[in-house]
Amino acid sequence: MIQFDQPNIANLPELRQIGKPLPRIDAMGKVTGATQYAADYTMPNMLHAQVLRAKHASAQILRVDVSKARALPGVVAVLTADDLPGAQVATDIPGVTGTSKRAGTDAPILARDRVRFMGEALAIVAAEELAIAERALDLIEVDYEPYPAVFTPEEAMQPGAPIVTEPDNIVARWRIVKGDADAALRDADVIVERTYKTQFIDHAYLEPEAGIAWVDENGTLTIRVSTQVVEHFRSIAAALQLPQNKVHIMGTLVGGGFGGKEDITVELFIGLAALKTRRPVKMVYSREESILAHCKRHPFTITHKTGVTHSGRILASQVNLIADSGAYVYLSPYVLLYAASSAVGPYKVNHVTVNAYAVATNNTFTSAFRGFGAAQACVAYEQHMDEIAQALHLDPRQVRRVNYAQAGDTTPNGQAFRGAVWLEECAQRAWDALGETPPPSAPNIKIGRGLASYMQSYGRITWFHDTSQAWVGLEMDGSIVIRCGVPDIGGGQINTLAQISAEVLGVPLERVTVYSTDSALTPLAGTTTATRQMYMSGNATYQAAMAVRKTLAERASQHFECEPAEIDFADSAVFVKSDASQKMPLTQLIAMCAAEGLPRANLSLFKAPFTEKLDPDNAQGDIWPDYTFGAQAVQVAVDLETGEVRVLKSAACHDVGRALNPAAVAGQIEGGATQGLGYALMEDVQIVNGVTLTPSFAEYLLPTARDVPETKTIILESGTGLGPFGAKGIGEPALTPMAPAIANAVANAIGARVPQLPLTPERVLAAIDSAR
Amino acid sequence: MLPTNTHILFHEFDYHAPTTLYEATELLAQYGDSARPIAGGTDLLVQMKMERRQPAHVISLARVNALQGIALNGDLTIGATTSIRDLHQYLTSKLQPPFASLQSLGEACNGFSTIQIMRMATLGGNLCNASPASDSAPPLLTFDARVTLKSKTFERVMALEHFFIAPGKTALQADELLTHIRIPRPPHQSASAFIKIARVAADISQVCAAVRLTRDGNLIHDARIALGSVAPTPVRAAAAERELIGQTFSAALAEKIGKRAAQEIQPISDIRATRAYRQHIAAVIVRDALLRAWERTQ
Repeated sequence: MIQFDQPNIANLPELRQIGKPLPRIDAMGKVTGATQYAADYTMPNMLHAQVLRAKHASAQILRVDVSKARALPGVVAVLTADDLPGAQVATDIPGVTGTSKRAGTDAPILARDRVRFMGEALAIVAAEELAIAERALDLIEVDYEPYPAVFTPEEAMQPGAPIVTEPDNIVARWRIVKGDADAALRDADVIVERTYKTQFIDHAYLEPEAGIAWVDENGTLTIRVSTQVVEHFRSIAAALQLPQNKVHIMGTLVGGGFGGKEDITVELFIGLAALKTRRPVKMVYSREESILAHCKRHPFTITHKTGVTHSGRILASQVNLIADSGAYVYLSPYVLLYAASSAVGPYKVNHVTVNAYAVATNNTFTSAFRGFGAAQACVAYEQHMDEIAQALHLDPRQVRRVNYAQAGDTTPNGQAFRGAVWLEECAQRAWDALGETPPPSAPNIKIGRGLASYMQSYGRITWFHDTSQAWVGLEMDGSIVIRCGVPDIGGGQINTLAQISAEVLGVPLERVTVYSTDSALTPLAGTTTATRQMYMSGNATYQAAMAVRKTLAERASQHFECEPAEIDFADSAVFVKSDASQKMPLTQLIAMCAAEGLPRANLSLFKAPFTEKLDPDNAQGDIWPDYTFGAQAVQVAVDLETGEVRVLKSAACHDVGRALNPAAVAGQIEGGATQGLGYALMEDVQIVNGVTLTPSFAEYLLPTARDVPETKTIILESGTGLGPFGAKGIGEPALTPMAPAIANAVANAIGARVPQLPLTPERVLAAIDSAR
Repeated sequence: MLPTNTHILFHEFDYHAPTTLYEATELLAQYGDSARPIAGGTDLLVQMKMERRQPAHVISLARVNALQGIALNGDLTIGATTSIRDLHQYLTSKLQPPFASLQSLGEACNGFSTIQIMRMATLGGNLCNASPASDSAPPLLTFDARVTLKSKTFERVMALEHFFIAPGKTALQADELLTHIRIPRPPHQSASAFIKIARVAADISQVCAAVRLTRDGNLIHDARIALGSVAPTPVRAAAAERELIGQTFSAALAEKIGKRAAQEIQPISDIRATRAYRQHIAAVIVRDALLRAWERTQ
């Protein structure tokens, strides 16, 4: 059920298509199976690539002998680190265009002397058939010398620990100091100190990593790939020692990203093989390879020490965060920054000290995942709010109310919240939507309720100097073409642009076509990450469409002899607002413009706010353009005898600023909540001594439709977002509050807390037993 | 390469699609150990992709009509290739007493993973796969079900209890096919219940349990308890059963018998659950299944 409210909005223009739950233009292809994903493409004369993965988590490589693999009939190339022009690839700031330094974050494309996690790439095989490539992998002989290993960040931080990353395994550190937390803690009535842990989880997209690469007749390396970032062509060019204009990324529609396709996946493997063999090369990860060898969500250990008054007011917070970065850096510095900056949540706290570390281990590397550190922070700060309330014998909702930030209040790094900050309203609406608490169905069943509020930025870190470009044009028949580099990862990114231009130019949505996600042919729009495409490319598209509209309106105003402001566009017609009889088909106006050489298209660049990089020793200053706020409430049933948790009801309320397409927004909210449910209750990539014990979906569990509760989705529209029409981002925020809401509901039900995700029945049972 | 169940089958095999039971058994007689029958394929295909099985001959049973369907002729006879979904619909819509007491088998079918699996998977396939975690086996064990095994020249019938030998191993000879599962007419005044604990609804069980009770006034005239995922095969809890028979039913008795059954089993720790958790919840679900079944006998 979707509730859709527009309270307190003034001065919004009359909108004809924005705000309507129109069917997405990409929907029919997906439901009929017509959509082509990366793995669906084949080419004549194509080879199949496979990658040899390390069988040790930490070892020196003494010898790699590929002679038997090379000799296998049907094998065309076997490549090792010795065959690489450049051995390293930069792993941070995908698609970066600014001037930020990216030192010390490189990772080998193929391991040469040492492997640092089980599953690290050692060699590439390209063969005539996939079966031959797979068989060839087994013929490559590798001699390993085990090397000391370390598997927890706490151990990796100790002096004398095996070194995964020079000099001391600490790959990123952020310290944020606001006020004087030590002094303020001394004034507190009560101090509450607790530690919370989160786990590795997998993105588990339907479509595993996949792509096909070839060298075209001009010598351009062309890679058709499932990616969130076509701008990787720059890093690929650097790694393969090619000019940037000789690497062409053609993105496809993506069968799920969630951050897992933000980093480079298959591009370098198939790119190298295509360069060496001069034939098209295709590679598709198996599910097991995806789970074993591509990035995971960072596990965090987060300790809060909070000083409060008897009435629940938070005076001071000290927060320590330690994240497991796995074997390579990737996006750890930024994931850590998101977590550190949102460590105390959407609350007004005047005295804060945050110390955050990302630490290298011999586990699978970790990187972006929907929520990007801010989600892990929320798991901790929202459970901590409930534990503060419990320590004070207060209602957790009351403690939140006393502390919610208002517009103008600042984060620990001193960034002021702007626009509507509807934390209390969202919490109230979500809570009320749960309705009455039902009586337990049996004596051994306890019903609990939990709430979590959150803040989550949208838009990239402002010192990345982010821009997006879009091209909008009208064809002679009145149809619209958009060219914009945005990768659509299933969230409706393309449809959003179409709906914006359809609104501005008065053309039905189904008459808009979007050409997207091509690094050479569509204007670069930046990454589909950081909940930024609606904000960035939406604004670029809006600007471009408005520029076209301006030209057309001026020409129409001459024709109708009125002011340009009097001209309006709807239903593929142009007319005078005050006199609808003064009207002509849009095609007629387009023909007039064409005959006179007036532009019917515009390329526009949208620029986010730019700031400079913060000091890691005391990060003070703005980091993001803006935040989304909201709340998630859940009702759970816990079986006291088995420890099973069943989520009975879920109610989410988010201020999305403006729902450009409420059906798509609700889809994000419901999908995010379901992903959060998995995070809370069952998803867990278990890596023990470097070995992944959950290599497939038989062991790694996801919620299915049968685990999803009755769901209420409440969309609030403050109109104060920085996106087009006042919209805010919702992609990542939708997930963030679900896991802590469930953890709080379980604690409410059983009177004890499991401070470690996921809340498996065995952990819940142990908590129940310890509370008895 | 990494073991994976998400790639295309590489190893080559001959595919046979017999239309009669005779043809099917003849093919089995011819190819023996190098052949593997396939029904829904929900287990076999995964095993082939993971290269745990590489049969040279795959014999599809899909066109053998004699293996399909359900008939009530004194016993309830279920063809081996009857889908879990069809069985569930039959059990929940068509049965009169005393066969209406087979509730637990309907519950097991309903808990059988996702709708896609229910439509593809077959009862015979679930039994021949011989997983300790089979959902269908515990209810059938409590019904004293018998299985018909047929080769080209010979047919034999055995109690299901003797059919399971070890994980993935049954009493089937290389030339034999499981053709039917027969459930004898249940005693009057009987009822059953099945409970499964799994990490997510679509998963195989951490523990499952089925019970059948036959009452005589307030006394328990007869009892069966069977569990899955607690031993190398689906197992009966015989000692717990014996302690029930002749007793007056009470909640306290159900509690005691649940604990007794948990003492009889030898679960292992694996990725789905620890041994201790399995023993703990076995007691709980056997008790709850007893309570539920007894209530149904009223």
